[in-house]
Amino acid sequence: MSVRCALLGLLAQRPRHGYELHAAFEALVGGAENWDVSPAQVYSTLARLKEAGLVREEGLEQEGGPEKVIHAITPAGRRELEAWFSTPVRAEHQRDEFFVKLMLCLATGEVDPMTVIYAQRASLYQELHAVTTQRARADPRSELAHILLLDQAAMHLEADLRWLDMVEARLDEVRRQPLPEPQPRPRGRPRRAR
Amino acid sequence: MSYYIRLALRYLWGRKLRTILTTLAIAFGTMLIFGMNGLVPAVEAAYRQQLMQAASQVDLTITGETRSSFPETALEVVRGTPGVAHASGSLVRPVVVPPADAPLLPDGSRLGTIVLSGIDPETAPQVRRFEVVSGRLLQPGDRNVLVVSESLARKASLEPGDRLRLPSATGVATFEIVGVIAGEPGAVSDEVYTPLPVAQALLNQPGRINTIEALVVPGSDARAVREAALARLGSGFKLGENQVGSELQAAVEMGEVAFNLFGVLTLAMGGFIIFNTFRTVVVERRRDIGMLRAVGASRRAVIGLILTESLLQGVVGTAAGLCGGYFLALGMGAIVGPIWSQALRLSLGGPVFKPATYVLAIGLGIGVTLVAGLWPAVSAGRVTPLEALRPAEGEASWKPARRRAAFGLALVVVAVLGLASGNLNLASLGAVLFLAGLVLVGPVLVRPIAGVFGRLLELVLAQEGRIAEGNLARQPGRAAITASAMTIGLAILVALGGMTTSLESGLFRYIDQSLGADYLLMPHSMVLGGGNVGAGPELAEAVRSVPGIAEVTTVRLAMGRIGDTDVQTIGIDPESYPRVAGLEFSAGEPEEAFAALAEGRALIANGIFSAQSRLQVGEELTLQTPEGPKTYRVAGIGMDFLNAKLATVYVSQENLARDLHETSDILLMADRAADADPAEVRAQLERIVAQYPAFSLLSGDEMREEYKQMYGMAMRLLHLLMVTLAIPSLIALMNTLGINVLERTREIGVLRAVGSTRRQVQRMIVGESLLLSALGTAFGLLGGLWLGYVLVGALNATGFKMSYFFPYSGIVLAVAVGLVFGVIAALLPARRAARLDLLAALRYE
Amino acid sequence: MAIVETKELTKVYGRGDAAVTALRKVDLRVEPGEFVAVMGPSGCGKSTLLHLVGGLDRPTSGRVALNGQDLSELSDDALTRLRRREIGFVFQFYNLIPVLKAAENVALPLVLDGVSPRKAQSQAQLWLERVGLSDRTDHRPDELSGGQQQRVAIARALASEPALILADEPTGNLDSRAGDEIATLLRRVVDEWKRTVLMVTHDPRIAAYADRIIFLKDGTVVDEARLVGGNDGAEKLVRQRMEDL
Repeated sequence: MSVRCALLGLLAQRPRHGYELHAAFEALVGGAENWDVSPAQVYSTLARLKEAGLVREEGLEQEGGPEKVIHAITPAGRRELEAWFSTPVRAEHQRDEFFVKLMLCLATGEVDPMTVIYAQRASLYQELHAVTTQRARADPRSELAHILLLDQAAMHLEADLRWLDMVEARLDEVRRQPLPEPQPRPRGRPRRAR
Repeated sequence: MSYYIRLALRYLWGRKLRTILTTLAIAFGTMLIFGMNGLVPAVEAAYRQQLMQAASQVDLTITGETRSSFPETALEVVRGTPGVAHASGSLVRPVVVPPADAPLLPDGSRLGTIVLSGIDPETAPQVRRFEVVSGRLLQPGDRNVLVVSESLARKASLEPGDRLRLPSATGVATFEIVGVIAGEPGAVSDEVYTPLPVAQALLNQPGRINTIEALVVPGSDARAVREAALARLGSGFKLGENQVGSELQAAVEMGEVAFNLFGVLTLAMGGFIIFNTFRTVVVERRRDIGMLRAVGASRRAVIGLILTESLLQGVVGTAAGLCGGYFLALGMGAIVGPIWSQALRLSLGGPVFKPATYVLAIGLGIGVTLVAGLWPAVSAGRVTPLEALRPAEGEASWKPARRRAAFGLALVVVAVLGLASGNLNLASLGAVLFLAGLVLVGPVLVRPIAGVFGRLLELVLAQEGRIAEGNLARQPGRAAITASAMTIGLAILVALGGMTTSLESGLFRYIDQSLGADYLLMPHSMVLGGGNVGAGPELAEAVRSVPGIAEVTTVRLAMGRIGDTDVQTIGIDPESYPRVAGLEFSAGEPEEAFAALAEGRALIANGIFSAQSRLQVGEELTLQTPEGPKTYRVAGIGMDFLNAKLATVYVSQENLARDLHETSDILLMADRAADADPAEVRAQLERIVAQYPAFSLLSGDEMREEYKQMYGMAMRLLHLLMVTLAIPSLIALMNTLGINVLERTREIGVLRAVGSTRRQVQRMIVGESLLLSALGTAFGLLGGLWLGYVLVGALNATGFKMSYFFPYSGIVLAVAVGLVFGVIAALLPARRAARLDLLAALRYE
Repeated sequence: MAIVETKELTKVYGRGDAAVTALRKVDLRVEPGEFVAVMGPSGCGKSTLLHLVGGLDRPTSGRVALNGQDLSELSDDALTRLRRREIGFVFQFYNLIPVLKAAENVALPLVLDGVSPRKAQSQAQLWLERVGLSDRTDHRPDELSGGQQQRVAIARALASEPALILADEPTGNLDSRAGDEIATLLRRVVDEWKRTVLMVTHDPRIAAYADRIIFLKDGTVVDEARLVGGNDGAEKLVRQRMEDL
């Protein structure tokens, strides 16, 4: 979904052909190493956008090579893009694999939860170390956007690390409390999906 | 090392005002000590040069034990002693040349005191070598002729053929100079020689001499001969020449000690301020110091750094003090010199700075700063490198340890002993110890006293007052040391105030008492023994016969000896003296005492003598006289202005003539009849005095005014000095309040955060400062009053009798100054506290 | 040989009931050329550990050895000398001498060690250049920003060419941007100038600059994480995160 919106946004900037679109996206996310989207993916997304009437073909470009189709955004596409801009991106923190792992570890008693925490922490630090290393290498005069992106990653990692510290500090309390169990439900009622 | 000095200089430069003012305190102290000690030798030199007799190169010199004269018959006794080859008698006395007749000296002043030697022209050359420079020696049969020493001749441009007028018992006598002789090696005195009979007539001592000089037969044991001669003479004689002017020297030394006392107190104050400042510095720089330690400065290096800073101040302060002292001595010399030459007929040379004076002043100036910097420096050395890392709690902890208080109490006790010792040197040490003790005892007393004053303060500043009081009670040690800045300053001020007021009122009373007569016929030298030539009874008669003169009394003077003490023995007329002048009695009844004098051998001792010898009224004393020991009963203790500084006894003129053979009047006092015309009487008296150049006529009122003005000026100088002393104590208070704010930055931040307004914080600091200064003022007043009282007592013990005068105005001033200072000193820190950036203060660690 | 080695290092503050054990039998090894961060919740003893390693404080029991030299055997003076020559300190509050210029502050440890003022000054100049402050040598600390002051402090720590730099919350008083600069500078201290850095911090972002993180809790080492350098890791990780979106 966000690749779709990103392509719409790039077309809103100006009409582009498929290859150009792919290059622009890569530049936007700071290189293929950060978010590797294949040209095929770009073309298939473009096809879907055309189907939905958000993008239309505007003409051909031919400079000695094979001819390229130029794509442009439609008014419907602009409306879609506007809607995307006005909707905040939801972070889905509840769906955290580590949390599930930790709870299960507590429930089963198979492994010391500390080991889980430490392993996670070491991994997070490793990530943070990598991010900071990369960030230190970036040139703030020309690669600020990239730096901001790395900062975002670093801050998420920091937040995770702080949260881990908190879990570590309060683990004993958590242990003393009963684990979340499914509530016994009265029969006959239909199960309501969340 | 240069790096340390640079670092120290930078730190000092960083707080210029504080540095300058602290240094000033040291400079003041050094200035006083150096200046005074430079002036005193000049005074001494003046005596020595003009009054001391030349040390003779003879084998045997015999003088009267009491410095009084003795009959010429003693000479025959000496001559008859086996082993004596030649002997010659002489009458040697300092004589003040009447100013009107005195030759001009190159420096524009007139010749004052000279030493007159009446010698026997025949026998004197046998015992002493007189080397003629020009003219001739004295010859038998000479009348009014003089031979003068070469040094005097050069100084006063005298040569054979010149005339010199000298005072005599009957007025004035004119002498012709017939020769100039070379002085003996090392002799510097201004001596003149005249035939013995002439001198005896001049000094009203017929048939008497006071010095015998003799040579022994070559090969004989000089010492055995001396002892044999002394034995043959019997009691009343001693070996060695008379030390003229030694009694004056005692007076000068006392002045020196008094000024040294001031200097020492000033330095003590300076030392305390330095101590205080560096205590602040160490607190302020705790983290810097910790950092220095962490990066590798050794403990010694840190101590060295702080000591370097205090030493720099000490060196600069001392240097400034030396310069100031030099000019002080010069200035004082310029002011005092003319007064001296007028009052004492002695001319004063420039200040003399002996190596010992330099050592004393530099040693004290730098020593005090070093000692004062030592404790803070050592405590700085104890700062661990951890302080650099740890948030500074920044408390200069000074807990009210019992042991310290006990030590302080012990100091106070020792100080009291020192003060009570009657020795001014010990007393000044005692004064310093007393203040130190006070500072140590202080912390124990803070809580109760803060409680009392706190309640008062709450009346004015309800909320802030309570917080301020709480702050003090929580940190009694810190409060005490802050207040002690005030205490020390005020104690010194009040003590000096009490001392000067007492001195002033004491002096004024003496002046009124002893110069109570309408007219005084004064000798030119104020100090009676200082070379004045007395007058025969004709002068008193002449004065008495002046129409309009109701009463005349005269004063005569001889030297006697009681026990080991040389005493001025003053002969008065017990009947007329109390009517015209009078004494200030401290023991005994005036009427009874004077009556006792009239009846028989009784004396009135002055304060200095009674203090020295711890006399009781009714006690019997043995006065050594040329007639042998005589027993006198102490009829009372009293003194007058003129003899306040010398051991003196008053006896009747009758007894003075009988036992000490002194009949010439040295001072005349006269009262005018109520209905007489002052102008007419004065004119008459002036005519009489014109014939007696040794005397000058003064009206009592003029005299009193003159003296009061003179002393008033001296007192004003002292007051000025006190004010200058007060300024450093303000700095000390500001310093300590400054630390207070610094140490509590965070606390103040919290106060502000929970809703104290800037004004409230300001008021809290001011309130605290007021409490502290109230505390300091209270201590300072108590300490100062007591100290002043004891100092006056110590002065008394040395003989200057005066009662302690309670300095009311001084106290009012001290309280006002204390409180005003408290507020002023708080203003800056309070502003700083109020302006604290709230967030920064909270973050402050 | 390890540059820092502690054996059963224990530090107890206070006595009797009030006794607080700040460190309990800590064994730690730091190899030359390592950048080690010590982390843990406040009160975990991480500062105490640094103080003991720096010879600023004495352990209750156990021992600290620097380059094999047991600190407990040294007198106060010898410790002072050791601090002067073998250790450079960087503090949270920079702790520069306010009355000295930047260059003079940097020269201070050298001067304390008896190096001639001229040599000390040129050395100071060199290090200020290296930390990027060659245009600030004559500034007083109060004329410098927090980050600049800390850089001066780092130059000072390096001036006497010590093998070991001890940093106590070096970024604790700085905003995150200046903090990153200082951490990067410390990284250079290790990578470029081949020193060993032992740093206490509570900021994960700063700790991540290190090669190894030691986690302290209640006075004991509970865990340590070795962070491998290199670009690959970072690229992979970031990509992963992006794809999560």
